[in-house]
Amino acid sequence: MTKLLQRGCLFFQKYPYFRQPIRFKNSVSSDSSASENSGTLNKLKLSEPIPDFPKIIYPPARDEANETKVTTLENGLRVASQPRFGQFCTVGVIINSGSRYESNIHSGVSHFLEKLSFQSTASYGSREAIWRDLEKHGGICDCQGSRDTLIYAASIDSRGLDAALKIISEAVYSPNILDNELEAARQTIQFELQDHAMRPDQEQTLLELIHKAAFDANTLGLPRLCPPENLDKITKDVLMSYIKTYHTPDRIVLAGVGVDHDKFVDLAHKYFVDTKPVWETDEHIIQLKKIELDQSMAQYTGGLATLNRDLSTVNQGFADLPELAHIVLGFESCSHQLMEDFIPICVLNMMMGGGGSFSAGGPGKGMYTRLYTNVLNRHHWMFNATAYNHAYSDAGVFCIHASSHPSQLRELVNVIVNESIGMTSRISPTELKRAKTQLQSMLLMNLEARPVVFEDIARQVLANGHRRPPHFFIDAINNVTEDDIFRVADRMLKSKVSLAALGNLKLLPSIKDVESALINKDSGLFKRFSVFS
Amino acid sequence: MSSTILRNAPRLVQTLSKNNQSLRFGLKNRKISAIPTREILVNYPETRVTELSNGIRVATENSGLKTATIGVWIDAGSRYETPETNGVAHYLEHMAFKGTNKRSQTDLELEVENMGAHLNAYTSREQTVYYAKCLSKDAPHALEIISDILQNSKLGEAEIERERSVILREMQEVESNMQEVVFDHLHATAYQGTPLGMTILGPTENIKKINRQDLLNYIEGNYKGPRMVIAGAGGVDHDELVKLAEKYFANVKVTYDGVKIPELTNCRFTGSDFRIRDDDMPFVYGAFAVEGAGWDNPDNIPLMVANTILGSYDRAQGGGNSVTSRFAQHAAEENLCASYQSFNTCYKDTGLWGVYFVADRLKVNDFTMEMCKNFDLLATAVSESDVTRAKNMLKTNMLLQLDGTTPICEDIGRQMLCYGRRIPIAEMEERINSVTASDVKKVMQTYVYDQDPAVVAIGPVEALADYPTYRAWMAFWRF
Repeated sequence: MTKLLQRGCLFFQKYPYFRQPIRFKNSVSSDSSASENSGTLNKLKLSEPIPDFPKIIYPPARDEANETKVTTLENGLRVASQPRFGQFCTVGVIINSGSRYESNIHSGVSHFLEKLSFQSTASYGSREAIWRDLEKHGGICDCQGSRDTLIYAASIDSRGLDAALKIISEAVYSPNILDNELEAARQTIQFELQDHAMRPDQEQTLLELIHKAAFDANTLGLPRLCPPENLDKITKDVLMSYIKTYHTPDRIVLAGVGVDHDKFVDLAHKYFVDTKPVWETDEHIIQLKKIELDQSMAQYTGGLATLNRDLSTVNQGFADLPELAHIVLGFESCSHQLMEDFIPICVLNMMMGGGGSFSAGGPGKGMYTRLYTNVLNRHHWMFNATAYNHAYSDAGVFCIHASSHPSQLRELVNVIVNESIGMTSRISPTELKRAKTQLQSMLLMNLEARPVVFEDIARQVLANGHRRPPHFFIDAINNVTEDDIFRVADRMLKSKVSLAALGNLKLLPSIKDVESALINKDSGLFKRFSVFS
Repeated sequence: MSSTILRNAPRLVQTLSKNNQSLRFGLKNRKISAIPTREILVNYPETRVTELSNGIRVATENSGLKTATIGVWIDAGSRYETPETNGVAHYLEHMAFKGTNKRSQTDLELEVENMGAHLNAYTSREQTVYYAKCLSKDAPHALEIISDILQNSKLGEAEIERERSVILREMQEVESNMQEVVFDHLHATAYQGTPLGMTILGPTENIKKINRQDLLNYIEGNYKGPRMVIAGAGGVDHDELVKLAEKYFANVKVTYDGVKIPELTNCRFTGSDFRIRDDDMPFVYGAFAVEGAGWDNPDNIPLMVANTILGSYDRAQGGGNSVTSRFAQHAAEENLCASYQSFNTCYKDTGLWGVYFVADRLKVNDFTMEMCKNFDLLATAVSESDVTRAKNMLKTNMLLQLDGTTPICEDIGRQMLCYGRRIPIAEMEERINSVTASDVKKVMQTYVYDQDPAVVAIGPVEALADYPTYRAWMAFWRF
């Protein structure tokens, strides 16, 4: 590196006529008449306070554990809010919509809706017009889709609350969906799909696979990303008939953090009750056939989902990573509504922990979790081992993701199977205490950020009609015992296993072998060594 | 391993917007000479500052949350090193988590993990930071741990030896990040022959020979009370923290005993050009910068407004944040680059203002030309409406960033070191509000127009014009 530095050419030795010019940095004269202050302020050092600045009155420190207020409007839309420090507020809607509801329509509809968000609407001519309006109040907006929800949200100076709600209402209730917007969304999705395929982490692809394995062809198992073959099938009429069916007020929660509840409810009336959605006003859309509302429960099936993909070129570039094969081993967990099981599973998830073998950061990143101490610290050929729990309103899947070079795929599956079996073995009191404390601190640290609080309120109110405050979860975590962990771990291990695999899968063991290894706990996988297998 | 090397490259956007939350009433038309009896009501807590007997300043913002971030910000970094000791500051940061006289490495790790806290440290060119994120009730405990690793690190010979390979490995990782590589080269060429030109990690030969005595000398020469700030945000009680700091940091000295007092020499900026041609690389990675202003300079505010007008663009994110930037629109329409970000990186007495870019090999020259054209436009014809929009965006970025105890704590610590105070958000907003189009033109004419840029380009750089060509673009309308 030092050698390279010496190559730096001193330009001025070669071209002396470009000498370093004389600067008059501190003699900028003030002839500005546009602002009364700029003349003085642009000479005042930042370390010096503005003289005679008005006295600032600060509020006293307070605990923000305020209760979330919820009001249901006459059309069924629920409004939830909570006050908070800071001049900014985060507001938005969460809709009970997403890829899990696409069984009666082309998969990919909600992916398109996400990309088409905050485009032109009945009263905003273009995306730029929306942003210009937001900018006036220092706002930003975003739409995020998941398997079971669609969120439209904005963070904005509280003085711009009215504008933010108008924009969100327009985006949800009256999008134009013009041909050119649809085409642009199609291109963006195509680019995104290519990008996912080229990413070193392959996270999105793996998520699709494990959900497909765990919920075969129903609800949560439906693809979240638009399948390439559906790109051309999704038209404005398809999108509108979907919105008409699923984006009804009773499936929507309007949530706000850092707002006054009464004012918020008034504005909600104005923009979500008095303002009518386009499917009630536009003749063409009224005529469109409604699709059948899918109200089925998620059915955990278990099974295998694989994708043979050549990942040898994915990691090329500057990072010197080896070619990887990924597996995700999943078990049936539970809905996030079933507290007595959900909380122990979260503690178990924290106890398993894990991460990448090269992750940076000091103590506190979970370096004493099982997937580090038992797996990554012992098997240096493994690249990653991480536990996740994906929970939804009616089902869930607990999984461990691991990756290594494809030549070690069999051993990789073996290590993860053994570690899964180990979930029902003894837990030391310190280990349990640590996992519980880490889960509590993670929960509270996440809630420092306003957008996270917003999402928490929105999701909880959508699922239960009210929000359980953070201390409810803190207490629930405190009460988890070793027996609770055994109970949920044992039940999970008895469920049918889900296995997702991605990469060069020549050496992937059959799911039968994995199942029998999980049942015959002592025999392990591939005890019999064979050079021909 | 245990370090986030916080250097200037990843802070491109952060530097734009490191200030504070918000205020309740608009200040736009208020005269500066207003009568001081006026009051502003704000909805964020006050930053309280207390100086201890040994010069350490304790600054906190208590928001009453259940979590807190607490840390020590030290006015020390690779800038205070010599070519022979370059890398010591960073090496020391690595040794911080390797055990103290009271705690072994495992004890320390378990103690932190068991309380659900996070301990972290980073070194930059001018600052060294150790901080912990924890539950509010553990804040005193976290402060004790930080004081211990800062003052009583064992610095065992065996641990020092073991860490060499870790740091060399980290160096490889840094070198795999093109943005880091470009910014290291940018500093090396723009500040050639001065301490700011050195890297934070130091050269391999230094990493191989740094020993215990070097580390001790560095501590003795830099970790001094008046150069340290203890910052806290979230659920932190100021008076309690002051009391604890007085106790835990009692041994930090004000005087330099037996070591030379470090002098801060002026780091000269040199307009220059540095390229590595590698035709196998997919893109040209580069940076184009002029000398900006030091931290304290009020010109930073209009310079940041100019940064915001230039904006940023990323092909992978489509329109994204580029809606307001003419430059970004143009870059998108003409497909001039894969991405670019404008940046304003400040140091004590100097700074780098410019654009980082990733461009296709055949487009890189068009991109540079368009960029210079935009510089010239800003210097001569920027409109009042563009400035107003950029001011709003700058405030938004600034305020939205201060969400969470760690960003707030980081802001307090950095500002206390850079400005000797925490600028109230209301004041920062007032300063931004007062910027006019003519202010922006003025700083652009002072710092950018007809100035010598420092340029770095790595990759298939064949098509990039030579220095005299784009040096001419900095001043003339030859497009």
